Amino acid sequence: MADAPLIEKTVPTGAGHGGVPAWRRWLIRARAYFLKEVNEIRRQPLLIMSLIVGPLLVLILFGATYVNSTPRVRTAVVLPPGGAPGISEEQIREVIGLNFDLRAITTDRAGAEAQLAAGDLDLVQIIPENAANALREGVSPQIEFVSNAINPLVEGWIQYLAYAEVNEINKAILRATAAEAQREASTIRVRVVDAEGKVSELERGVVEARAQAARRDIGEIRTTLESLEQALPSQEFLSAQGGESARLRPTIERLKTNLDRIDRAIADNKLTEALAEIAAAKNDLRALNGSLEIFVNTPPERLVSPVTQSYRNVRGGAYPAVVYYAPGVLALLVQHTAVTLGALALVRERLMGAFEVFRVAPVNLTQLILGKYLGYTVFIGLATLALIVAMTLLGVPLLGNWLLFAALILLLIVASLGVGFLISALSGSDSQAIQLAMISLLLSIFFSGFFIALDSFAWPALVVAYAIPMTHGLAGFQDVMLRGIAPNPWTWIGLGLIAVITFALVVLITRRQLLKA
Amino acid sequence: MSSENLAILSEGVELDFGNGAGIFDQHYQVPQGTILGMIGPSGCGKTTTCRVALGLLIPQKGRITTLGRNPARFRAADRERIGYIPQQFVLYPRLSVAENAAFVASLYGMPARRVRARLDELLAFVDLSDARHRLAQNLSGGMQRRLMLAGALMHDPVLLFADEPTAGIDPVLRARFWEYFRQLRDQGRTLVVTTQVVSEAIYCDYVAVMRKGRILAVDTPENLRRMALGGEIIDLTLKNPEEVHRALEVLKRWKDVVRAAHRSPNPDAEADIHVVVEDAREWLPEVLNRLENQKPRISVESAAPVEVSYDEVFIRIMEQDQRAQEARHG
Repeated sequence: MADAPLIEKTVPTGAGHGGVPAWRRWLIRARAYFLKEVNEIRRQPLLIMSLIVGPLLVLILFGATYVNSTPRVRTAVVLPPGGAPGISEEQIREVIGLNFDLRAITTDRAGAEAQLAAGDLDLVQIIPENAANALREGVSPQIEFVSNAINPLVEGWIQYLAYAEVNEINKAILRATAAEAQREASTIRVRVVDAEGKVSELERGVVEARAQAARRDIGEIRTTLESLEQALPSQEFLSAQGGESARLRPTIERLKTNLDRIDRAIADNKLTEALAEIAAAKNDLRALNGSLEIFVNTPPERLVSPVTQSYRNVRGGAYPAVVYYAPGVLALLVQHTAVTLGALALVRERLMGAFEVFRVAPVNLTQLILGKYLGYTVFIGLATLALIVAMTLLGVPLLGNWLLFAALILLLIVASLGVGFLISALSGSDSQAIQLAMISLLLSIFFSGFFIALDSFAWPALVVAYAIPMTHGLAGFQDVMLRGIAPNPWTWIGLGLIAVITFALVVLITRRQLLKA
Repeated sequence: MSSENLAILSEGVELDFGNGAGIFDQHYQVPQGTILGMIGPSGCGKTTTCRVALGLLIPQKGRITTLGRNPARFRAADRERIGYIPQQFVLYPRLSVAENAAFVASLYGMPARRVRARLDELLAFVDLSDARHRLAQNLSGGMQRRLMLAGALMHDPVLLFADEPTAGIDPVLRARFWEYFRQLRDQGRTLVVTTQVVSEAIYCDYVAVMRKGRILAVDTPENLRRMALGGEIIDLTLKNPEEVHRALEVLKRWKDVVRAAHRSPNPDAEADIHVVVEDAREWLPEVLNRLENQKPRISVESAAPVEVSYDEVFIRIMEQDQRAQEARHG
């Protein structure tokens, strides 16, 4: 056997540190774990690429292809067998096509419902027979909406859009009704002016004791008022307009009462009383004329929608979807990377028997965990920085203080590593750790407020939501990046609590595992 | 031997895991600068014995000191004097040879400057200088074992525990490992090496034979051989096979020297006799003289000490223990 080269013939001292102070040896031990983790990760370029480039590509694809959040509801309109008299296909397309993807207008209800059942359509709208007649008869015609939605969000949208469509139809009907009423009222208004003259004649007739002529005038004025009453829209409609329009019908009622009293006074030959009522009627007719003038000259659109809206975004406008979701993607990347790396950090070494070596060596648990935390923090920090640079190139702003932003990233990394290390400490194998990391990813997507607002959940889910680092990270990133304000104090408190609690649990569990190693 | 010169002193140590597992009533001591080989079948408690000496397990009974201290109360400074090669490979596949060794060194608080110097020295020692930058995942099993040895030596320990370091490696590399160990011993280090390969006992200064958690015997390999066989054996071949009976009578009467004398167990060797004495080399000339001086003379054609394999020694010790246990339990 060839002689092996001899190592230096010195008496072993067992003091390989060569007089290095204890505090420095402490740091060297923590650094050992740090360097090990960094070296292991940097040898995995595919991992690095997938962690940085992967989420960025997803974000770009999302930004480039996202159109809007309203679902396309494939719709068929079923007309009554005789069609819809007075409504053209063009009008139907205009009204329904506003909110729905109108695929067909048909009279074949069974065929449309078969397509619905087969999944070729999402919605069938059935227009009632004789809608115009029903309206005239004071009955509310009903449009039947039948859907086969399986997505609760889509169903919510369909119900909302159906409501909006019916609302639009109602407004169109009201517009037409109001315009018609205005036209008729405009004609009647001439007769109201004429009625004012007749009241003067009535006054003279009463004074001159021409009772027959006076009672004829009263009859003519009453006819005019009744015509006007018929032409006007309902009191509910007029009341909704407020002001002069609201007073139209009450004034007519009062005038009719006046006329009855005048008629009775003439019959009873009570001259003074009749003249007083005539004076009142003259005033009311004047007021009615004024109200009619306003009603007739008001645009039908304002009669139907008296309240209008104005909207202004103090930022000038909301962000494009790709920008709005960027903080969420960033928070998700940071958390998922940290949880995944952390989840494998302890379990692998425990299974390979490294814990036994660590126990024999003069290292302690704090050095082990701190060194690993530090290694992963540096790596994830660099990956995050690369992603932020890429996001900046995509136009994602950072309006707030960058120091706060950096501190928030750091805290999110530490809190997420805590969750990952906790998974690692609890897992019995690599695959179990990965599985738990994936579950944490699913929880984050559903409960962090990334896609579904936290307000949508009952309190038990909120407990889960606030235990997820990403929930706080997402809110904080949106504040700093998109609003330019400091994160809410609860963001810091939430992340801080998660970081501290998970660290304590990891230390507790790993200490027990080390003692068993 | 003074306890100051002992690397390990174990007195009646016991750790019962239940169902017969554990270690029981272990008495042994390891002088500094020696190699103690722990030999025994799988599951006999070798690793547990090491783990107790390392302070990883605390005995329920007895007393143990390692480097003069109770291992359960080791401080960092005590641990810095101990090296350990575990049974499992504990190497990081994505770290290079140098990085793996440096990692272990850093766990012991070695500054980078000293790590670099020591690394050159140790990689040359275990013939891994050329593989310095190779990833551990690309090393052969033997190279991985050598790397683990280098890692365990980085911080210059005075006491090295190696748990089955030669398991699963070829005989050439196994011999090389023992060469390393003996060199380390020659530098003044103490080594505790466990193995299932009985023939490796020859490389050790002391051997502890273990069975079912107990140390059946701990002594030098030669003394163990004597103990197992009742002494050493001289194989005699007489010129005349008909004189075998007379020769046996003569030898058996010489009770001061001859512990036993019988025909050779080999049936083809009619003229062969096995004579058991305390030291075969010392008593061989006297045995020859005694036979030659008989009247009529008993002529010996050849005589030589028998080299009994350690496998046989080990089996005999096991059998003796088995018989003793059976006797105890009726």
